[in-house]
Amino acid sequence: MIWHIAKRELSNNLNSLRFALATVLLLGLMLTNAIVHLREHPERVQRYRERVSGHQNHITAHASNGLYDLAQEGPGNLYKKPSDLRFCAEGGETFMSDRAQAGYHRWSTDTLKSFWILAYPSATPNRDNVRPEVTKVDWGFIIGYVLSLVALLFTFDSISGERERGTLRLTLSNAIPRHTVLIGKFLGAFISVSIPFILAVLVNLLVISTSSGVHLDAEAWGRLGIIFFVAVLYTCLFLALGMLVSARVQRSAVSLVILLLVWVVLVVFMPSTLASIAGRSTSSGPTYDFSERSWKLHEELSSDYYSRHYKEPEGSTKRIEIDGAYVTKDAEQQEQLHAERLNRRIAEVNRARAITRISPVTIVQNLLESFAGTGFERHLQFLENVQTYVREFRTFIIDTDDADSESLHIFGVRTGMSQKPVNPDAVPKFEDTLNLSQDFDTAATELLLLTLFVLVLLSGAYLAFVRVEV
Amino acid sequence: MLMTLIRRELLDNLMTFRFAAAVFITLLLVVANTVVLLKDYEQRLTAYNTATQESHQELREQKVYSRYAMDLIVHRPPNPLSIFNLGLDKQVGNEIAVYHAFVPTVWDAVKHGANNPFLNLFTSIDIVLVFQGVLSLLALIFAYDALAGERERGTLRLVLTHPIQRGYILFAKYISAMLCLLVPLLISLLLSIILLTISTTISLSADDFLRIGGIVLTSLLYVSLFYLIGMCISALTRRTSTALMLCMFVWGVLVLVYPNLILTAVDIVPQPNTQISAYHQIKQMWEELNREKKQFLRNDTVLGPLSRDGESWGFRLKGSEYSFLRDADKPSTLLYFYQSGFYAGKIKAESEPHVSLVQNYYGFYNRETVNTVERTWLVRKPALEVIYVQPANLGRMLLRFSPVGLYDAATEAWAGTDLEGIQDFFSTVQRYRRAVVDYFYDEKIFESRQWFAADEGTADWDALPQFSFQRSDTGINAKRALPDMLLLLTMNVILFTVIVLIFIKSEV
Repeated sequence: MIWHIAKRELSNNLNSLRFALATVLLLGLMLTNAIVHLREHPERVQRYRERVSGHQNHITAHASNGLYDLAQEGPGNLYKKPSDLRFCAEGGETFMSDRAQAGYHRWSTDTLKSFWILAYPSATPNRDNVRPEVTKVDWGFIIGYVLSLVALLFTFDSISGERERGTLRLTLSNAIPRHTVLIGKFLGAFISVSIPFILAVLVNLLVISTSSGVHLDAEAWGRLGIIFFVAVLYTCLFLALGMLVSARVQRSAVSLVILLLVWVVLVVFMPSTLASIAGRSTSSGPTYDFSERSWKLHEELSSDYYSRHYKEPEGSTKRIEIDGAYVTKDAEQQEQLHAERLNRRIAEVNRARAITRISPVTIVQNLLESFAGTGFERHLQFLENVQTYVREFRTFIIDTDDADSESLHIFGVRTGMSQKPVNPDAVPKFEDTLNLSQDFDTAATELLLLTLFVLVLLSGAYLAFVRVEV
Repeated sequence: MLMTLIRRELLDNLMTFRFAAAVFITLLLVVANTVVLLKDYEQRLTAYNTATQESHQELREQKVYSRYAMDLIVHRPPNPLSIFNLGLDKQVGNEIAVYHAFVPTVWDAVKHGANNPFLNLFTSIDIVLVFQGVLSLLALIFAYDALAGERERGTLRLVLTHPIQRGYILFAKYISAMLCLLVPLLISLLLSIILLTISTTISLSADDFLRIGGIVLTSLLYVSLFYLIGMCISALTRRTSTALMLCMFVWGVLVLVYPNLILTAVDIVPQPNTQISAYHQIKQMWEELNREKKQFLRNDTVLGPLSRDGESWGFRLKGSEYSFLRDADKPSTLLYFYQSGFYAGKIKAESEPHVSLVQNYYGFYNRETVNTVERTWLVRKPALEVIYVQPANLGRMLLRFSPVGLYDAATEAWAGTDLEGIQDFFSTVQRYRRAVVDYFYDEKIFESRQWFAADEGTADWDALPQFSFQRSDTGINAKRALPDMLLLLTMNVILFTVIVLIFIKSEV
């Protein structure tokens, strides 16, 4: 019986104007998305490859100059691997730097050079840019905004419309339980929305996967599957909302008006208003503080150093030790400062993100981002990869120095470190990776929250429909 | 008769659920956002005040004129009307150095104050954005059943039995719906203005109220356009639910899809050739200056041997304490310059004979620098125009195909947060730089001892021309907003005519 009702709904919808409009709209958006991705992505991948080989050359070049040079220069810039699924969620990638600077130098004197530290440059894409700003048309936009609107347009009259026409009374006069009618209608609406969406997704993926410039591997397809599942869940949320309001309201036009106002508040305004509130409530100190503190720390250290440095005779081991301690201590302090600033910033963003999570559209966009391998979570993963690599690199330097028995084992000064040539192939190189299992951990709560939303709305729709008088 | 019709429509509209919902939602969104925006503005203002004060103090700590580049910094105050339309006010830099070695532009400015670059991840919102989304939606919700609804209920037939022209009926419907839509618009604006006036940090001048008036007028045109679009759909369709659904698709396309789609699809990239060739030209001019400088030093029999590879570095004057470099090399914004200088606390007697020669050298070098900058500016200005301004204008042009783009552009112009409004500030800074350079010429500071030495009198910063910035006249704002407003008005008139034509011909 459920299927019977669903089929009736489906055939009703397929002939309607809204079905045609939704199909055209979704197809157009998905096609644009695919074309834009094909235009931009190969270039991005190419640039990344060039940068990775640049990083490797940098290491090889410095390794051949000896251990001190390698330890002083550092591994150079470390780059973030662009995700192949960026078309699914742009994730504000342009607002996050695509590199970490593992070779940030600050000063040099006649005899000493500062050791490298790990710094995190910030991306300022729009400071030079005076263009009007818009949301990128990615899957996140298409699903979050357009598909949810379409879902409402398909369900606003599912019950109130039948009541207006009087056919609801007719249906219920048969010996069908109400929940069967509701489920049948839900399925019918679900399939009618899915058809244009699936069509558009297929066209999008067809265009992207058949092109030679972009390659999607098995894992990417798995991620796409999960993203599709999230989209389906999200659509169900709005279908349930539509049915709930439709069951409670007498006239279908009123039902649509209510739904639209709810939609505008929930989808269009809540994320940005919440974000503004969250962004304002957390404010970091001015940037002056940072450079001032950095300068002060360095100043204190160096005045202490100069007072001790000249007491020791030139060339003595004691003097080399003081030199080395100065350089390494300075690098340590400064890196600590950079790490602290980064952590403060991350904590702020995390607080802000927690607030915006009330809106379902933000949840979906977060989910899409984490499965597409873009966005803030991905950036944190990249930073973690960088930090792991940096530890590895430093351990390698220490181990290599330890292995040389002639070395004085004093870091920071050329004469204090191993003079033997370094095998460039043995030096660890940085390769950024995307890890699905890690993504899933961060996404699990959001997925649960979304499911909860759907269940609450569905049961609400059921209760409303059971109690409704025809 | 017209009055009766208007009264009937008005009563019809005022008593509906949608009217209550419209007022409630607009009020909620506008007030909530005003509070947030106000707080944000206050923060930016505090940051501006602190930064201005700090720059003022730091400049006064400098004893010689040649160091002024590091600390003669001017700041762009936040625009109080950015609460209505944020525009570029927060996006572009707000701190710029004034120096004779380059002409300051919006692309050379940096951002001061509290900053966490990650917070850019969150989209920002302003009152015009709320109106853009909500008022257009409300206008459509008010319009969808204007004709289709009466036709469904059969009341249209009844009204038309009276000897009234059909145009009058349309007009009455239009006027009453617009009156209803004005209520949420005006009440919410009034509340936000009250919030603004209560706040102590923000001070609105009479001109600002005129500008807000301009924004209200533009909003009215925008709302009316959407109402007419809805009415047009209503005149064309038989059933109200079809009309409403069509309205929603049109709204989705115009407000949500088109602006984002068009700018994603159309890739506006300036030719990189312009940038590269202009950059090289500018660099060559500076290299030429460098050659001239070296030539000058070679010809000088005393200073020449004192300079290291044609670079001044203090000319080994006894008493010179440190030398410094001020340079920039940013190919993306075509900024290139290079200046070196030194600081001497107390010049010893044995070097005294050289001082006048050094003064002479700086007189020559600074003059040549200013001339070189003038020449590079002739290259840089048009190139920046091609690289940044033209693509931005093209993008705005494309957005104008949707009423949303017109509305945004016009309100930005009123608020003064559009590109031209921002450029106003930077032209003021450019004029100020000119005034400072002229002052240095007039007072012979470029060739003075205080340029590098602090022993015979130090730099007198208070005598320097003071920087002040006034936002442009309301007249200029109006002039910039007018084309877009006229376009909106024309679209209104055309749509109304179309509706009248459709309605007159339609059968009831």
